[in-house]
Amino acid sequence: MVQSKKQKYIFLAFCLVPTFIMFAIFTLYPLFSGLYYSLFEWSGASQTREFVGLDNYVKLFNDGIIPKTIWHDYFLVITKVFGIMVMALFIAVALTQLKIKEAPFYRIIFFFPNIMSVVVIGILWMFIYNPNLGLVNSGLEAIGLEEWTRPWLGSETWALPSLVLPSIWAGIGLFMLLLMGGIANISKSNYEAAEIDGASEWQQFWHVTLPLIWPQIKISILYIVITTLNGSFIIVQVMTGGGPNNSTHVMGSYLYQQAFTQYNFGYGATIGVMILVLSLVTVLILQFLLRREKVEY
Amino acid sequence: MNRLFKGHFLLMIMAIAILVFAAACAPDEAPIDDGSDSDSTEENGDSNGDSDSDSEGEASGDGEISGELEIQYFVGGYGDSWWKEVISDFEAEYPDVEVVEHAGASINEEMRSRWVSGNPPDVVYIDGAGSSETQMVEDGQLMNLTDWAGEIELEDGSPILDSFIAEPSDFDGELYSLPLVFDAWGTWYDMALFDEGGYEVPSDFESFMSTMGDIQEGEGIEPFVTTGQHPYYFSRGMLYPAFAAYGGNELLADIIQGADGAWETDEAVEIMQGVEDMVEAGYVDSGLGALNHTQSQMNFLLHENAFIPVGFWLPNEMEGDTPEDFEYGFIPSPMNPEGEPMAIVPDLRPLAIAEEADNPEAAKAFVEFVFTREYAQLFSEHTGAIMNIEGVDLSENPNVPEYLIEANEMINDPEQVQIYYKPHPMSADLETPLSDSLVSLLLGNITAEEFIEEAEEAAEEYRDEEE
Repeated sequence: MVQSKKQKYIFLAFCLVPTFIMFAIFTLYPLFSGLYYSLFEWSGASQTREFVGLDNYVKLFNDGIIPKTIWHDYFLVITKVFGIMVMALFIAVALTQLKIKEAPFYRIIFFFPNIMSVVVIGILWMFIYNPNLGLVNSGLEAIGLEEWTRPWLGSETWALPSLVLPSIWAGIGLFMLLLMGGIANISKSNYEAAEIDGASEWQQFWHVTLPLIWPQIKISILYIVITTLNGSFIIVQVMTGGGPNNSTHVMGSYLYQQAFTQYNFGYGATIGVMILVLSLVTVLILQFLLRREKVEY
Repeated sequence: MNRLFKGHFLLMIMAIAILVFAAACAPDEAPIDDGSDSDSTEENGDSNGDSDSDSEGEASGDGEISGELEIQYFVGGYGDSWWKEVISDFEAEYPDVEVVEHAGASINEEMRSRWVSGNPPDVVYIDGAGSSETQMVEDGQLMNLTDWAGEIELEDGSPILDSFIAEPSDFDGELYSLPLVFDAWGTWYDMALFDEGGYEVPSDFESFMSTMGDIQEGEGIEPFVTTGQHPYYFSRGMLYPAFAAYGGNELLADIIQGADGAWETDEAVEIMQGVEDMVEAGYVDSGLGALNHTQSQMNFLLHENAFIPVGFWLPNEMEGDTPEDFEYGFIPSPMNPEGEPMAIVPDLRPLAIAEEADNPEAAKAFVEFVFTREYAQLFSEHTGAIMNIEGVDLSENPNVPEYLIEANEMINDPEQVQIYYKPHPMSADLETPLSDSLVSLLLGNITAEEFIEEAEEAAEEYRDEEE
């Protein structure tokens, strides 16, 4: 039976229109209203708002805290991409190639943090970092490194680096699974051929595994970058609230502080626009840097 | 068989998911407009014969009070039992009024859309996170009460404006709210610990420093803690009383309004130098940077520290965690110079009427109804705190905690304690940058001199914003 053109269009509309309506209501409308509000001075709680044109953007460029928040965000992006990718790749290769009997068990263990809410993870790690009772300081004391103990989250120098560990810990599982999927798809014959040619395990990893799972690696990196730029807010808000003295504020947590505790909703929206622009630019640059010809053997 | 099982399994999962979802949604809605709503409808039905009268029937020319009255109140450390009692008394007194309560710990956020859309509740008690009296006045959301407040009297006929312990907030000479709760920040200690260790309860900054030295030696702890996540606990709890004790209401007002050079006055410099001395002597908890208020209070209860600046609500808030042998002791923060009375700067939690109240007559009736000495007694019984009405004798009341009776006596004795007033709460736009620098100072990362420079900069930026 041949479908008429009309039937085809109806079917297409049936598939696309509901999604598009949802997309318009829940993504496009907030996006444009965010842009719109960034042109106003508004407390977020009153009926009246004053149109101020680009004043909020001028304020943004003169705000001394903004460059810090951007740096903190990219510090988290860089450390998370390296930490998560190295650990996830290592574990994924180990679990698929090394023929460990307990592989399924480890898979569950490493994936476990992913089913926990970030808020729970943040609170958990606050206890771990607690200066008096926490695991980190007691551990250091137990092995005789008293002078290394410090109030990790309470120090202007150490608070931001301390946030990296829980973020990596929470992120490994998902990307490990993604990479394991990629590795499982590589045909055994590639490795057999490499072995016959005398390639070592390391060479096999470098010349067979890595090029063939490049698409998965690329997606993982992009995903980590985007979720960090948009989502590092949660762990910061839970664990330090941006302090001490702004030393851990990321763009998202600063937006929240401006919009909801300092009652500068319009300025908060302006920071939101900045996050959008920076995320887009970062992703475009990454797309360019990570482009590689597709490899097939 | 297998497929059948699979189908059941899927169905079961869906059913569980729906149940969980329903369970998660249901109780959320319930407590907001609970009980009182249906009670009042009944009462209303009896007397009015028309439970749908809503707001149209209210205050119709002849001054009768009726219709729907919406009250928004934050429920925090003080609980809501006092409110429930007062509102039910009010409904008995005004049977034609139907009270709708909007209450809860996050009520300020929940009601925000109502305020934004110009359909606010009639009466609002301003307290808790997400509420700011200063912001509401700046946004024109509160009714100007200047003229009307002059007419209100307590049960014995004394005018209310002469009966407050602490004066209402003053916005350029206008009155937008009546201060209901007299909250005061002060410094808490454990009387049992002090008895046991023979430590002296400080009465000025010098004795404060020497007691902290004794405790540091005797207990091997850093004696002073506060929350680094909310540094305003330190500024409101320690610095405001210090500014008041040194420079009176004038210096306090200058600091709060971000006046030019306020931080560079000799008094402010001496106070901040004192804070630096505390830090340098190792009296301030070095881990406070990451502590939220509960954690810092927990450390205090566990004797990891001996002093903490918090308001009257501390014992109520930490009720479940207080060790049995712990005895709360409260003193006004001992930041005053030797020989001067200690200073208290009240933090008032006001009651206000919305500018766009649907039923202003009933709202006024309610506000007037609440301010009595009888309800002030009741408030102390229910909450362990003080209502902002003077001449309330708590000493005979067996239901009021010991520390409150002592604090109340102190507050009413001008020899011991002087009460100072801030014109209004500090704007968040000024308080936030000050707080940031304050944490650095408390962690020992900057000196008092550097702090003062940063504070002056923050004040200048704030003044520029305001213009």
